[in-house]
Amino acid sequence: MFKVGTAQLWVHDQDEALAFWTEKVGMEVRADVTLPELGGFRWLTVGVPGQDDFSIVLMKIPGPPLMDADTAAQVSELMAKGFAGTVFLETDDCRASYEELRARGVEFNEAPEDRPYGVDSGFRDPSGNSIRLTQVRPLAELEAELSAS
Amino acid sequence: MAYAPPARHLLRAKDLADSRYAEPLGVEDMAREAGLSRAHFIREFSRAFGDSPHAYLLTRRLERAAALLRSTDRQVADICYSVGLSSLGSFTTSFKRTYGVSPTAYRERHPPAADRALVPGCVVRAYGRPQRRTFREDSREDRA
Repeated sequence: MFKVGTAQLWVHDQDEALAFWTEKVGMEVRADVTLPELGGFRWLTVGVPGQDDFSIVLMKIPGPPLMDADTAAQVSELMAKGFAGTVFLETDDCRASYEELRARGVEFNEAPEDRPYGVDSGFRDPSGNSIRLTQVRPLAELEAELSAS
Repeated sequence: MAYAPPARHLLRAKDLADSRYAEPLGVEDMAREAGLSRAHFIREFSRAFGDSPHAYLLTRRLERAAALLRSTDRQVADICYSVGLSSLGSFTTSFKRTYGVSPTAYRERHPPAADRALVPGCVVRAYGRPQRRTFREDSREDRA
């Protein structure tokens, strides 16, 4: 049987993305290798300290011969518009995490708001990717509400 | 502030080391986080956790450095600075004392990080293609 290992995000610049995810969001580098024989392909992954079996690969939009210039431009534009991909982060305390990340320079496009499922907020990485930061209400809490009503 | 056992404050200092070791953090910062004088803090931390705060913080940094040596191709100096240390010489000495070998030798003992990069098939295929080809076996280019 298998499990999910790594999620992928396109980035415009890997150094910029790395600085963002480690210095601002607080993740750590997991892998960082550059393969000159493969056009300088750089495998760069970050993860949450303590969550060892999952990481995010920050992949630079490739150019030819791997991806033609038109396609690369399309990907780049999708990202800039915020439609390329989303990663969902979960926290025990959305409002506290929000304050902490904001203090470190993370730009939130959505401040924490109460939702039926918990408290949700959203920020962007330098490339425009959408990252959710959610405090999910325990199922037991929702079930208790149901039986109380 | 509601009462908390003294160990709670020490734990705060320990958590600080665990989460922000990559920054230029020192025992003074940890002591401040615990709200204690440096000498008092060192004594209490050692008693609570079995390690001096300095040893605890350094070990955390060296562990991360070892992981980066195994999983990245970054220069040793870069790794030293990225785990919050400022002296390459001290880093090398401490690393060798803890792991028995120099950072470079440690890296060489492990499979190259490049061998563990998960390269997508499309990348391999794109760069695996020969740049120039000829189907003519006796062409001038092949003989060159």
